[in-house]
Amino acid sequence: MKSDDTESEDTGGIVLWNDAHPGPDMISTRTLGFWLYMLTDAMLFASIFTAYAILWHNNAGGPGVGQVVDLGYAFGETVLVFASVFAFGVAMAALKRGSHRSVVRWIGAAFLLGAGFLAMEIHEFAALALQGIVPERSGFLSSYYTLVLTHGLHILFGLLWMAVMVAQVLRQGFTEGVVYRLLNLRIFWHFQALIWVFIFTFVYLQGKL
Amino acid sequence: MKADRKYRRIARLLLISPVLLLGGCSTPHFWLIHPKGPVAGAELHFMILDVVVMLGIILPTAALLVWFLWRYRESRPRGKYDGHWASSTRIEAVMWGIPLLAVGLLSYFSFVGIHEVNPYNPGAVTADKKIGTHADPLEVDVISTDWQWVFVYPAQHIATLNRLVVPVNTPVHFRLTSATVTNSFFIPQLVGQIYAMPGMRTKQTMLVQDTGTYRGFSATLSGPGFSWMRFQTKALPSRAFDKWVAKVKGRQNDLTYAGFNRVAQPTINLNHTVKYYARVQKGLFQHVIQEVKQGKVFSTRMGMTSHM
Amino acid sequence: MLVHLQGPWSPFIGRLSLHQIPYDNPIIVGAFAFAVAVGIALFAGVTYTGSWRYLWREWLPSVDHKKIGVMYILVGLVMMFRGFIDAVMIRTQQLMAVGPQSAGHLEALHGYIPPFHFDQIYSSHGTIMLIFAATPILVGLMNIVVPLQIGARDMAYPYLNALGLWLTTAGAALVMVSLYLGEFSHDGWIGLTPLTELPYSPGVGVDYWLWAVQIGSVGTTLGAVNIIATIIKMRAPGMKWLRMPVFTWCAMATNLIVISAFPVLAGALFLLTLDRYLGTHFYTAALGGNVMLYTDLFWVWGHPEVYFLVLPAFGIMSEIIPTFSKKPLFGYTTMVLAALGISGVSWSVWLHHFFVMGAGPNVVAFFSMSSMAVGIFTGVKVFNWAFTMYRGRLRFDSPMLWAIGALSFLLIGGLTGMMLAMPPIDYQVHNSVFLIAHFHSWLMTISFAALGAITYWFPKVFGFKLDEATGKRVVWFWIAGAVLVFTPMYILGFMGMTRRLDYVAHPSWYPLLVAEQVGIGLFCVAAYYQFKQLYVSIRDRKHNRAEADAWGSTRTLEWMTHSPVPFYNFAVTPQIHARDEWAWRKERGLTNLMPDRFQDIHMPKDTYVPAVLGALAFVFGFGMVWRIWWLGALALLAIIGVVIWRSFHRDTGYVIPADEVERMERGYLEHAPEGATEEVPVGEPAPGVLASSQAPSRQGAGS
Repeated sequence: MKSDDTESEDTGGIVLWNDAHPGPDMISTRTLGFWLYMLTDAMLFASIFTAYAILWHNNAGGPGVGQVVDLGYAFGETVLVFASVFAFGVAMAALKRGSHRSVVRWIGAAFLLGAGFLAMEIHEFAALALQGIVPERSGFLSSYYTLVLTHGLHILFGLLWMAVMVAQVLRQGFTEGVVYRLLNLRIFWHFQALIWVFIFTFVYLQGKL
Repeated sequence: MKADRKYRRIARLLLISPVLLLGGCSTPHFWLIHPKGPVAGAELHFMILDVVVMLGIILPTAALLVWFLWRYRESRPRGKYDGHWASSTRIEAVMWGIPLLAVGLLSYFSFVGIHEVNPYNPGAVTADKKIGTHADPLEVDVISTDWQWVFVYPAQHIATLNRLVVPVNTPVHFRLTSATVTNSFFIPQLVGQIYAMPGMRTKQTMLVQDTGTYRGFSATLSGPGFSWMRFQTKALPSRAFDKWVAKVKGRQNDLTYAGFNRVAQPTINLNHTVKYYARVQKGLFQHVIQEVKQGKVFSTRMGMTSHM
Repeated sequence: MLVHLQGPWSPFIGRLSLHQIPYDNPIIVGAFAFAVAVGIALFAGVTYTGSWRYLWREWLPSVDHKKIGVMYILVGLVMMFRGFIDAVMIRTQQLMAVGPQSAGHLEALHGYIPPFHFDQIYSSHGTIMLIFAATPILVGLMNIVVPLQIGARDMAYPYLNALGLWLTTAGAALVMVSLYLGEFSHDGWIGLTPLTELPYSPGVGVDYWLWAVQIGSVGTTLGAVNIIATIIKMRAPGMKWLRMPVFTWCAMATNLIVISAFPVLAGALFLLTLDRYLGTHFYTAALGGNVMLYTDLFWVWGHPEVYFLVLPAFGIMSEIIPTFSKKPLFGYTTMVLAALGISGVSWSVWLHHFFVMGAGPNVVAFFSMSSMAVGIFTGVKVFNWAFTMYRGRLRFDSPMLWAIGALSFLLIGGLTGMMLAMPPIDYQVHNSVFLIAHFHSWLMTISFAALGAITYWFPKVFGFKLDEATGKRVVWFWIAGAVLVFTPMYILGFMGMTRRLDYVAHPSWYPLLVAEQVGIGLFCVAAYYQFKQLYVSIRDRKHNRAEADAWGSTRTLEWMTHSPVPFYNFAVTPQIHARDEWAWRKERGLTNLMPDRFQDIHMPKDTYVPAVLGALAFVFGFGMVWRIWWLGALALLAIIGVVIWRSFHRDTGYVIPADEVERMERGYLEHAPEGATEEVPVGEPAPGVLASSQAPSRQGAGS
């Protein structure tokens, strides 16, 4: 007989069915799935970062990265992103305490800070576009706009999600569904901040230094 | 049951019938096994090496499988049955070892072969001991358009359309670009493929050992006219080549930058057009690259060849 | 607009116009008539059998992994048929258009299809077969089998599962619509730049291709998240990692490829979409774009993609061969390691698709060696299957014939793959029909495995077997067809024939093309027998009732369930003791048993939302293809709105009370062909049943 693991733990005989098995915990299953989804998002960003890495010197006679990025401005955006993530973290602490009011308030704060970031970003690109510095001008500008604004689009979806979660918390309270969605939003929001760190480093810092 | 056996017989016959087709291998139509230049020759050499090594594994494996299928079938079993035997360290060592060794060996051959046929510096051509007379290399610029080939000889200041003429036993150094989309420059009996891409410059090196006429074409889809994107390559003795150059120079037509733009208009070469240009505007190759980088396109008309 | 469009554009209907309907093309008109006829026949059939309510209530909103799997396979088979017709048309054109004297018909200069249509046909052939036929069939199989093999009731995310199905269907629908409205891409399934940029592909063809593949791939990616989470979280108690069946391991390995590689395709296509819609310069030759960037990004996905297709095939072979050899799979741990190894190494080989693009020799050498390294893992698997058969008792039912056929084509595909991995060889045969024959040899492996799997698991899902006699004919004609199509193709590759030729200039190639035409004719016979098999099997289903252990010598857990499987899979969660749990139980006589008590079962509710989202995704894609901005925007907003609205739903599940479960179980067992069953306590050791191998069951593993 081969050495496969054959016996059950019981000494007397063999247990064929097990209805005491609790099954997977719904919240951890949902958050695992969202982590896997975030992996795919990471790979999507990786492909766009790759395009940026290949194209960021290709000015085609137009403005280069040094003329387009403003480190101080980007630093301001960074502060807003980190503050927003911090606020969301406080909201998660409030979730642990079970306080509806607190969660709603702090998500609201995170929302405002995130919206501020987005407003700054829109302002930056609108100003560039008005000067004629548009993505169709060169490979560099195409990849600059696309990388930063793809992240911005993710931020926009995150803000929308925050608004939905506030509505759900107010309507339903902390149901299992609401809780796992809040946890997933936290993963998402932190991840967007992480991507911003990469953008700040490889686009803004690398561009200026 | 009977019908089943009949089908099996038919199927068996059909399965071996392709072998009958192998008779054609000896004909010169098999470009890939009739190389006329050292690069193509090196490529064939490594192909044979690879196939021999792989057959050394595949054939015994296939035989083993067939033997097992015959020996252990339930309808008339010849071997014993052991319903629990499912592992053996010795067999595992062999079954990992054989592929590892084969891959190691083939990797070595691959590395050597790559340097022999490297388009930018092929050992098969540059290694002097391989070539008899080593004349001065000939420079040819290759520009692919939608859907023709322009060959510029910068040293001789002449150009041709859809016809490549080279002297034998002379290394030919190609620079390649495209005015439109990516094409793959390929003359099977002489040299392997290299992409010709817009806004970029690639290189290839070729040497022809036998005089004759060879077929070249694009091996990468480039649009509706792709199937007709063929050109003949003629290899002449050195003196005959010089005579040919002189003859072309005696013609009337020029290839200016504007003239090139006319040639490069989307054209499907249905009539096997060949043209010769006595004078070429200097720097045409670089000019084409620059133009493309600045945005020059030769657009394809929508619905082209929907009614041919 | 930011780009120059050829042809008209209006804000109301975008690029749409009556001219975009090819009513003057007799072939397309014929295809349309055929599609309408089939539609009418289906409509009549459903009405005649009174099945509208049944389909509308039980299938359309289903979140049951088995029904979703069946629908995935149906979509795949329908698209496979369309892709097959494309193949017949390609072969016929290349046969008719040989030599300058060849006649032209129907507005073609040679043959019967001008390049405008021929280029679309091979582009849709490739896109359909890879993305909309093979992928849905394999995903469908994994959907059906994986939860059953690990002892779960359903996937981790049933709603997301359905969404993946309907997104795939939306993508397939876009490809089908392109035949009758507008055009499909002319630039191959790969879509290399700058050919696919707007100046060189001015029509809507590439846009159809972009959106169809994008939408379909989102579905596949969501499915991968689902399968991985299911395998991690939903295994039955005792189902340790190294007790899982190899098919499940291969499903794990292949979906790891999906979550890592498919997003890169999304990125690559996204940037091309921006080039075509906003005039950016990612892949243009002009103004700082990089033509080679697309090639790299695409193949970074493209190579893992083909391993995504072949790993489930390996998993299927690893299930079928042991069953029909009456032996466990040889070298289980090696098989698992090899599957994961293939999954990992697949990420390091992509440049071998463009050795000729001009990278330096050392870069080329690295990718050559890594490409060959994959052969090590594959070779190990071949030997493992061989030694599974060694000292076994082989039965050649049609699933086994399919598996052996798959193995044969694997050897040829592997041999030619090792040739292509060597750049000196690749420089001669890149993009030739030798390459086509090579990857079709692998696609034969994959499709043989898929068809074998459908035959193998069909009785488990539907409760009756497919007709064996016609099934065997399908196998033999398919093998004969494949040999006759692809062997001449290898030879033509050595003669110098390149791929995608609308016109073949060399009459010396004609005899081999004739042989290929005979081959495709044999494929047509195989297709006929396939349809016949389905008809005969359904007609005779009452005579071919299958029992739980449908093939008599099955080994894995899914064969313990009833045939057909009840929608809740297992009435009580089984306790797992070993690899090949079912074989283990059979050896100890632990078959024909049922639990003595039942409990409430929580099941997910069916919902129409995924189908609605799929329809909206189709509308969105359609709007974007034709640049009807208001339609695309509305559809996108609707998608977001529906998703948000759905997230407010609280009761997405329901409970089946225990006595209802018991009633259904007894009902199954009354009609089961297996015969009488005995009750055994749940959660406690079975009385009188000891650990040693006793009383062999009716058709146990011993001889």
